[in-house]
Amino acid sequence: MRTRRPTVVVLSTLLAATLGTVTAPSTALGQPASAVQTAVAEPNQVSGLTVTQADGYATLAWTPIDGATDYQIERAPVDAGNVATGPAVIVGVWRPNRQINNEAPTFADAGFSPGDRFSWRVRARFDTTAQPYSTPVAGTTLAPWGNPDVPGESLRTQWETTKAAQYTSDVEEYAYTAEVDRLSERVRVVEIGRTVLNRPINMLVIGYPTPPPTAQAVAATSPLAINCNVHGNEPGDREACLVLARKLAFGKDAKTVDLLSHTTVLIVPTINGDGRAANTRGNSTGQDLNRDYSLIRQPETAAYVRMLRDYRPVAGYDGHEYGNSTAGDLPMLPPRHQNVAKQIFDESMDMIEGHMYVQGAKDGWWACPYGCQGGSGVGLSEETILRNTLGLKNTVNSLLELRSSGGQTRPDEGNSANNRRRKTYSAFWTFSQFLDYHRANLPAITQARSEAIEFQASNTGRLVFRGSRPIPLHPAPHPGEAGPRDDLPEPEMILDNAPCAYKLTEEQYNGARTDGPGEVGATVAERIAAHGWKVVKAADGYYVPLAQPERGLIPLLLDAQGAEEWVDGQRIYPTGTGRHNGPLSVSGFTCISGGTVNGPVTVRPGAVLIATGTTISGPVSAAGATGVFLADSTVRGPVQISGTTDAVSLVDNRISGPVALSANNTGSDVPLLAGNAVSGPLSCALNSPAPTNLGVPNQVNGPKAGQCAAL
Amino acid sequence: MSEPSNSSPVPGHVGRTAGRTQVRRASRRGPVSGASRRGAVSEASRRGAVSGASRRGPVSGASRRGAVSEGFWRGPVRLAAATLLAVATIGGCTDSDPAERGATARADARPAAAVTGPLCSALPSGTDPGNPASLTDEPGDVALRWIPVLTRFEAAVRAADLSAELRDPNGVTILAPTDDAFAKKFSEDNLDDLMIKQKNELRTLLRAHLVAGSYSLADLVAKGRVTTLDGTSVTITRADPMARIGDHTETVCADYQVAGGRIHLLNGVLGNLPTTADANGDPAH
Ligand SMILES: [Zn+2]
Repeated sequence: MRTRRPTVVVLSTLLAATLGTVTAPSTALGQPASAVQTAVAEPNQVSGLTVTQADGYATLAWTPIDGATDYQIERAPVDAGNVATGPAVIVGVWRPNRQINNEAPTFADAGFSPGDRFSWRVRARFDTTAQPYSTPVAGTTLAPWGNPDVPGESLRTQWETTKAAQYTSDVEEYAYTAEVDRLSERVRVVEIGRTVLNRPINMLVIGYPTPPPTAQAVAATSPLAINCNVHGNEPGDREACLVLARKLAFGKDAKTVDLLSHTTVLIVPTINGDGRAANTRGNSTGQDLNRDYSLIRQPETAAYVRMLRDYRPVAGYDGHEYGNSTAGDLPMLPPRHQNVAKQIFDESMDMIEGHMYVQGAKDGWWACPYGCQGGSGVGLSEETILRNTLGLKNTVNSLLELRSSGGQTRPDEGNSANNRRRKTYSAFWTFSQFLDYHRANLPAITQARSEAIEFQASNTGRLVFRGSRPIPLHPAPHPGEAGPRDDLPEPEMILDNAPCAYKLTEEQYNGARTDGPGEVGATVAERIAAHGWKVVKAADGYYVPLAQPERGLIPLLLDAQGAEEWVDGQRIYPTGTGRHNGPLSVSGFTCISGGTVNGPVTVRPGAVLIATGTTISGPVSAAGATGVFLADSTVRGPVQISGTTDAVSLVDNRISGPVALSANNTGSDVPLLAGNAVSGPLSCALNSPAPTNLGVPNQVNGPKAGQCAAL
Repeated sequence: MSEPSNSSPVPGHVGRTAGRTQVRRASRRGPVSGASRRGAVSEASRRGAVSGASRRGPVSGASRRGAVSEGFWRGPVRLAAATLLAVATIGGCTDSDPAERGATARADARPAAAVTGPLCSALPSGTDPGNPASLTDEPGDVALRWIPVLTRFEAAVRAADLSAELRDPNGVTILAPTDDAFAKKFSEDNLDDLMIKQKNELRTLLRAHLVAGSYSLADLVAKGRVTTLDGTSVTITRADPMARIGDHTETVCADYQVAGGRIHLLNGVLGNLPTTADANGDPAH
């Protein structure tokens, strides 16, 4: 068990009230840690102030004063001789609920123009009574990343060259990313789709020394993905992404090279290019794209979902801005939908609480739960939201909000350049931390993902159509006592008895739809293909088995009980659950759940077999079947599958005997062979396409040969 | 503010009904029609992909880069054009001395254009790109792009195709509500709807913020009453050192001089549209 979860030292409001009653006027003098100052400290004067410069922000740290209610941070512009060149202003308030540990207060000051020089002071307050300021500390802030004299590093965005007076336009984004691509071996810019108005949707694929050449090769590196701008009127994260892309493309520091040597970074600056250009939340049709990632009615979301299918990021962040002035700097939230595998929820929580909260306390950024404090109607379970869609695709991820309004610990700066820079560099910090988290925790991430895929494919447990997992109030740093709403499922949103599959009619599967732009929508068949689900065509319709990795998402789109489904598919329940003695010959559609077969199983040409939680004492052979799905099952004997026409899936089975997949010609469906324990050889030959394990390795006690040699 | 989808207006309940209702509403409001969508695209393509980038902004290279694209993207040919442009402009980005460029250069060449008001100090000043002196030769619609707190108003002008009225040769006074003012007035849903689907209403709303003729703040106060382009008569009273426009709105940074006009920033939205913002709410993301 990993124990990355931090200890909560202090909870805000109660403590603040308590602190207010403490009277200890001379404690500062009594603290040896503050002896770095040469002057004699006044009573309750803050000591030990340090200022550390980073990209776009400065971290202030100081020795706490016993009894302080909060601290004010003051900044003044100074010249090289530290003479003030402008008025000093209070740029922030530190208070205990900003961070999970209070013995080492930190505050990230940001909003200034990077490269300018300032002097900072900090003072404690007892209730509202200000105490003496610390001795000032001056420093020159870091200029925008990249040496202006080095090609590539010298690139700047429109947002940077205009000192944040303007955001980077579509044209300038394409130009900038094209130059990053041209000048860096590490970067390939790919167009993953087009917007409704035909703007390109680009993605930077970044690796070292070069990015892997194909989507499949990228997928093998367990990549991570940042979606920078889904709501067109929330541009702050996008600017951070563009600067980060430059740093990743040209940074020569050991950390950057190490990160990129171990994975591939996927950055989509602008999924909603039309909305960004028009400064609207939705796309050009008015559709909120972050209510469409499951439905993929719009070309933008469909492009993103196809990218997820092909590049298979194991972790993600989704950037937003919000106007709630009562919460923290950087609200985050994991995929909460209850159909998301618990392993993915837990690891996402660990990313947020175990990494972001801890690092935020070191660097002075206030990460906190989204949906707390006056946000009771937000951060819920809609699977249409990328955060939840990603979770249902077994991807560890979080939403990120940049507070666009003033906050309780920062001044309200309107939509000024200062405000824009504070937002963007707070996103830059978060995304950089996201890379660090991925680098440090990849084994845990991939384990969570493997277990999640195996859990989903086993098709066990109830289905929930809408409803969230609770977000625990602590150890989250919190502005008040109200956490995100529990959002538990209503009874009518629960299906205890999950079906084996959904059956769609020809009309449901291939029929024309009107729910896209211009009242033209892609067919369900096309959308299912975009999500990458397995489908088998039988004489009486199209079957979508739940025994596959996106089992949590499928019912939300195919069941009449879904809150926002595509079609009302027919629930198909198992045809066998008990014991069968003797040989079993499968023809037509057969689904066995929790069954026992004492004897060989033969799947006839054109037949479909789905078995989960089943024990088969005997060989399994299929020749010319339409589909074969085995998950969470035991086979005592060899498994031979050949000539399948539609879909093959073997996930998390224990197979005593050789396994052979040959000459399966499944069209666009990639045969899945993941997380199995095989006692015997594994061989694959002449399958088109070749099988994959989705990054979930098989344990094979014997030689692995042919197309399965690396699985 | 109401949540854009799937959330019941009643806090504490989310369920099937809310989701269903939303789905139907979404499809009703959905993309207008095949015909009009095609129309939009072709109109866009006539304007051309590079028009935004090549349009004349404030004289300098930096300013040209700042021009907002109004073109839509059609295909590889246009992308190639953009890439060429990119090379040229990005080259400019690498200038080692930004003070040589842009709006800044002109700041020294003319007398300082004085803007006044409490918000002015948060806006580009001195030699920063977008400083008031750099905007004096710019048409109103271009100048708006350099004032960071006017992104809603600026985008609305483009959405409503009102740029020509901001370039009226007889002069125009632009009473521009800040982004904060828009946020206090409209829910995000409502504003998206105006920007994307209710363009006539949006045009009327914007005309409630335009006055024929170029008037300084002192001129406006002296007049005491003006008629905005939507036909509404608005009182103007002194509210030292600023002015109150109508009953509830004040200028917060006044007297930007632009080509043939003035821009005064307001802390509220004029016109007759109902307030839809929820003071406690931010839409779900
Ligand atoms: Zn958002």
